[in-house]
Amino acid sequence: MPRFGDLEAAIMDAIWRADAPMRVRDVLDRIERDTEPAYTTVQTVMDVLFRKGWLTRVKEGRVNMYAAASSRQDYVSGLMDEALEAADDRTAALATFFERMDPQENAELRRLLGAARSATPQKPAP
Amino acid sequence: MTAAITLLAYAALLASAGPRLLMRGGWTERAPRLGIIAWQAVSVSVVASAVLAGLALLVPTVRVSAGLANLLRACVTALRDQYATPGGATTAAAGAVFALAVLARAAWCVTAALATAVRDRARHDDALSLVATPAFPGVVVLDHDEPAVYCLPGRRRRIVVSSGALRLLDDEQLTAALAHERAHMDQRHDLVLAWSKGISKAFPKLRLFSRAHEETVRLVELLADDTAARSVERLTLAEALLNLAGAPTPAAALGAGGSTAAVRVRRLIAPHRPLGRVRGALASTSAAVLLALPLIALAGPAVAAGHLQYCPPGSAAVGSAIR
Repeated sequence: MPRFGDLEAAIMDAIWRADAPMRVRDVLDRIERDTEPAYTTVQTVMDVLFRKGWLTRVKEGRVNMYAAASSRQDYVSGLMDEALEAADDRTAALATFFERMDPQENAELRRLLGAARSATPQKPAP
Repeated sequence: MTAAITLLAYAALLASAGPRLLMRGGWTERAPRLGIIAWQAVSVSVVASAVLAGLALLVPTVRVSAGLANLLRACVTALRDQYATPGGATTAAAGAVFALAVLARAAWCVTAALATAVRDRARHDDALSLVATPAFPGVVVLDHDEPAVYCLPGRRRRIVVSSGALRLLDDEQLTAALAHERAHMDQRHDLVLAWSKGISKAFPKLRLFSRAHEETVRLVELLADDTAARSVERLTLAEALLNLAGAPTPAAALGAGGSTAAVRVRRLIAPHRPLGRVRGALASTSAAVLLALPLIALAGPAVAAGHLQYCPPGSAAVGSAIR
């Protein structure tokens, strides 16, 4: 049983790069993989992506035409928004390293850090 | 009745005085792990006291099997006297309902907080699989100018670094940031946060629980910094924090009460002063006592009954009585 995660990513990648509605056959031709997946596998995974809301599907004649529901950049921005939200109002879902800081406070702390750096002897270079 | 009142009074006292004790002197900042444990101990102790207070009202009506009852008739009577409540069955029923309600509400809200976190994380992880680029094992890069380093704890744990953050951090600083995130994931800070958030949602009127959650949020960051500082320089970690926080950000409101980031940086710059062994031991012991007190209060009357001559002190005495 192959993991579909990688194939999902490859399919979305192909569709984003094409930037136009495509048939399953078109997607299969554009997927860059060492071993080409079977047509039915790609069809199944694209159906999953459609049901997840990642792809839209329009029937033209007897053929299903698939397109990305949103651009790659939209998804990246959405993920970043969630991360920034987590940084301001901590949720249990994500733990962030970065936090926002007042620029003035930042400058003040940088000065303190500089002073501490010059106070402690630098480690000799290895 | 006395046991129930004692337990409720204890819960009320702890809920009002607990936060003040824990905030005093800022000792939790010097021993964040102990601080996190202490806050949870106070929360658990308050919830447990309330539940046990309800159960204490139930004791007089507990049925004992016939054989044992005959054997221990005098003892059971004495026990019932100790816990006796005016109102009998009604009071007992009210106690049972109260205990169950508190327990169910706490369990429900903590479970909900956990479930929400798991669901949000799975959704986030799904999207991440499609748009992020794997950098090295467990770390993916998200192509975005905004500087960000964060992690998804749990089963599919991974750290996410934005390309904006990569531009702002040198190798050592990046290593420091990753060490901080690994500490979060290794020590499962997400679980303690889900618990404290769940409890604060369960009883929103009680200031103690929201305070405990706020402090836990802050202390897990300090703990992750301390853990990271075992493998990287403290000043490098501080520098990484400043570099990421110093980037121009969209006009977003800072969290109330000043930024935790500033506290963290100051703490990393100043010489590290962990809590001394004596004060550490004192704090751990206090946390353990807090947890034990409700049980002692509940068992108190039974122990008192145990001192009466016709109450066998233990099973050995019961055994010899049967012979």
